[in-house]
Amino acid sequence: MLFILVMFIPAYQGFCQAGSPTATQIVEKMDRVINAPKDQDFTVKLILIEKNGDTRERIMSMKQKGSDKRYVKFLSPADQRGIAFLSLPNDVMYIYLPAYAKVRRIASHVKNTSFAGTDFTYEDMEAINFSQKYDAQLLRKEDNSYVVQLTPKAGIRSDYSKLIIWIRTDIFFPIKIEMYDRGGKLYKVMTRSDIEKVDGYWVAKTSEMKNLKAGKSSKMIMQNIKFDSGLSDSIFTKQYLSR
Amino acid sequence: MDAGKLIFIICFLYLPLSFLTAQEEKVGISGGLQTEDHFSLTEDVNNTWHEYRLDLKLKAAFSDKAEFFSECWIRTWGLPNVLESADLTDRDKVVSMNIALREAYVDIYDFFIDHLNIRIGRQRIAWGTGDKLNPTDNLNPYDLENIWDFGRHLGSDGIKAYYYLDDFSITLVYIPLFTPALLPKGSWADVLSPPIDLPAGLTLNNMSDSITLPQTSLLDSATIGVKIAFLLFDFDVSLSYVYGRDSLPIADKSTLIAAGLPAVNIASELFYPREHIVGADLAGELFSVGVWAEGAVFFPEKVTLTTDSTAVGGSIQKDTVLKEPYFKYVVGFDYTFNNGIYINVQYLHGFLHERGPENLHDYFLLGMDWKLFDGKIKLSPLAGGVEIDDFTDIAGNYAVFYSPQISLYPIDNAEITIGCIMIDGTDSTTFGRAKNNDEFYLRMKYSF
Repeated sequence: MLFILVMFIPAYQGFCQAGSPTATQIVEKMDRVINAPKDQDFTVKLILIEKNGDTRERIMSMKQKGSDKRYVKFLSPADQRGIAFLSLPNDVMYIYLPAYAKVRRIASHVKNTSFAGTDFTYEDMEAINFSQKYDAQLLRKEDNSYVVQLTPKAGIRSDYSKLIIWIRTDIFFPIKIEMYDRGGKLYKVMTRSDIEKVDGYWVAKTSEMKNLKAGKSSKMIMQNIKFDSGLSDSIFTKQYLSR
Repeated sequence: MDAGKLIFIICFLYLPLSFLTAQEEKVGISGGLQTEDHFSLTEDVNNTWHEYRLDLKLKAAFSDKAEFFSECWIRTWGLPNVLESADLTDRDKVVSMNIALREAYVDIYDFFIDHLNIRIGRQRIAWGTGDKLNPTDNLNPYDLENIWDFGRHLGSDGIKAYYYLDDFSITLVYIPLFTPALLPKGSWADVLSPPIDLPAGLTLNNMSDSITLPQTSLLDSATIGVKIAFLLFDFDVSLSYVYGRDSLPIADKSTLIAAGLPAVNIASELFYPREHIVGADLAGELFSVGVWAEGAVFFPEKVTLTTDSTAVGGSIQKDTVLKEPYFKYVVGFDYTFNNGIYINVQYLHGFLHERGPENLHDYFLLGMDWKLFDGKIKLSPLAGGVEIDDFTDIAGNYAVFYSPQISLYPIDNAEITIGCIMIDGTDSTTFGRAKNNDEFYLRMKYSF
C-alpha cells in the first residue's frame, strides 16, 4: 500500500540501531512502522488536478486492519456515492456497485487501472508489505534519507518495474516514492507533506501523486484520523460492502 | 396525481425523516434525475420511448444495528394518451405519471447472535456471478420494461437472513407472495413470445388471453431460497436452491375461434408454473483475467397445452410443453488493458424467457469500454452479440445485434449517453423477431 500505510509511524525512540542497516533491514523496519497501527479509520479527500488546473473532488471513507485488509467507500460525488471496494490478502478484491445491488469479485487486471479516475491505481491502494513483495537495494544515503530501490520479487505481478523510495533515517518514514513503468521510465512521483503526530503515530496528512506522462496530479488529504479503534473483522467482509 | 399518490410520497419522504430527526440520527437523501428517449431508425423517426425519472433514495441509520433504505421512482412515461377532448381534462392522459417503490427495507445487524443479519421489506436480492445475465437470479421477478436493461428486476416483499463466518455464508430468503414479471411495452412485447404455428390454411385475426395468478395461500404463492457461499482455491463459489414460480407466464390452453374463415381468433389461458431451481456459480481469476461461470438446472412442473380447434373444424389436441429439466448457464471473462480499454465477453445458453431443453438458444456477447480524457468520455464501440439457435443451420437461425454508445461526463454527477441499437436476423430467433426495432437513444442523468 504505497500511499496510506506509509503515512503512519509510531513515535517511539531508539528505533535506529547502531551501524549501517542493509537495504532489506531498512525496508523491513519501514514495513513495521507503517503497519504499526492495529487498525486505521479515516476520511480521505482526493483532489484531481487536471493539466489545465481544473480540479475535481472525491471523498472516501477508508478503514484498514493490519497490513492486508482495506475497505474503501465513496461518499462523494453523488454518482459514485456508495461504491465500495474491499481488498483482502492474496489479491482477493471485491467491488460493490449500488446500481446492481451486487458485490462483484474483481480480478487483478484492474490493479494497473485508475482508481476512481485519480492518478492512483488499484495497485497503489492495496495493503502491502514492501519487504514481502520487493527486493531491496540501497542506492545511497542522503542527509536525512535512505534511498532504496525496490524491484518486484519473482512471481509478483506489478505495473511498476521498480520503485525508488526516500526513507527518513530518523523515523524510517517514507517521504517520497518514484514509480517506474515496465519500460523503466519514470512514471509517477509521490511526495507527502503536513507530517504530524496523531495519537502516537506520525501522519503525513497530505500526499501528492504526479503523473509525469499525463502531466496531471492527484492530492490526497487525510481527515478524521483514528487509530486502534478496535475495528471489527466484520467490516472487512463482502456483507459489509453493501451497507 | 391522485391524493393517494401524494400521501404516499409524503409518507415516503417525511415520516422517516421526522422520526429520525426526533432521534437525532443520521439520514441521507440522494438520487438522480434521468431522461431517456428512443427514436426508431425508420423514415418517420418515431419516438418509441420517453421517460422522465426522478429517482429518490432515503437512507437512515437508526443505530449501528439497524438501518432503513428506500428507493422510489417518480416518472412520467410515454406520450400523451389523448383520444377525445374529454381526455384533455385527465391529467394522467395528458401527462402519464407513475410511482414505483423499488425497494423499502430495514436491515438489522447481529440479530440475536453475531454475524446474523436480517433484511425485512421490499428488496432486490441479486444472485449470480454473471454480468447482468444470471440464470441463478430467480427470487425477484424480471422487470423487462426496458428490454435492453437485462439485469433489472422488481423488488420483492420478503425476509432475508444472512449468516457469515469467515469465508462461509448462508442466505435464507422467504417471499410470501408471488409477483409476476413486468413485460416490455410496445413492439418489444411480442419478441419474447414464441411464434404461433396455425394449422395450414388458417390466418390469425386476433389474439386474446387471460392470466390466472396463483392463490394467495402461502403454499401456492410463496417463494423460498437458500444459498451457501464459500471460498475454494481462491474462487468464490456458491450453491443455491429456489422453490418458486416462473415469473413469466405460459399457456396451458388455447382456443381457436372462427372469425370469418380462414381468419381465426385465438384465446389463450396462461399461468405461472411452479419450479425447483438448483444453481451454482463461481468467480475468480486466471492469469489476471477475471472469470466467472454460473448455471442453474430448472425442474418445472409439467405443463400440458390443450389446443381446442373444434370451432374451426379441428380437434382437441394435448401437448406437453414443459416437463423435462433444463440447464441454463453463462460463462464469461473480462480484462482491462494498460491503455484503459476494458473488454467483457460472455457466452449464454438460455435467455431469460426460454424454457425447456429443446428451446434454449446460444448467445455470444461482447462489451468494450474505453475511457478517454480522464474518464470524461467513455466509448463503447463494440457492444453487441450474436444469437444462434441451430448450429447445423446458422444461416437460417441467427441474429446479430449491435449497440454502440458514447457517454460524456462533462462535470461530476452528470452523464449524457448517446447510442443506437441495430438488429438483423431470422424470424426464428428472439432478436431476429425484433429486427424492425432499430433505434437510437439519448439518455441524460444528473445524480445528487
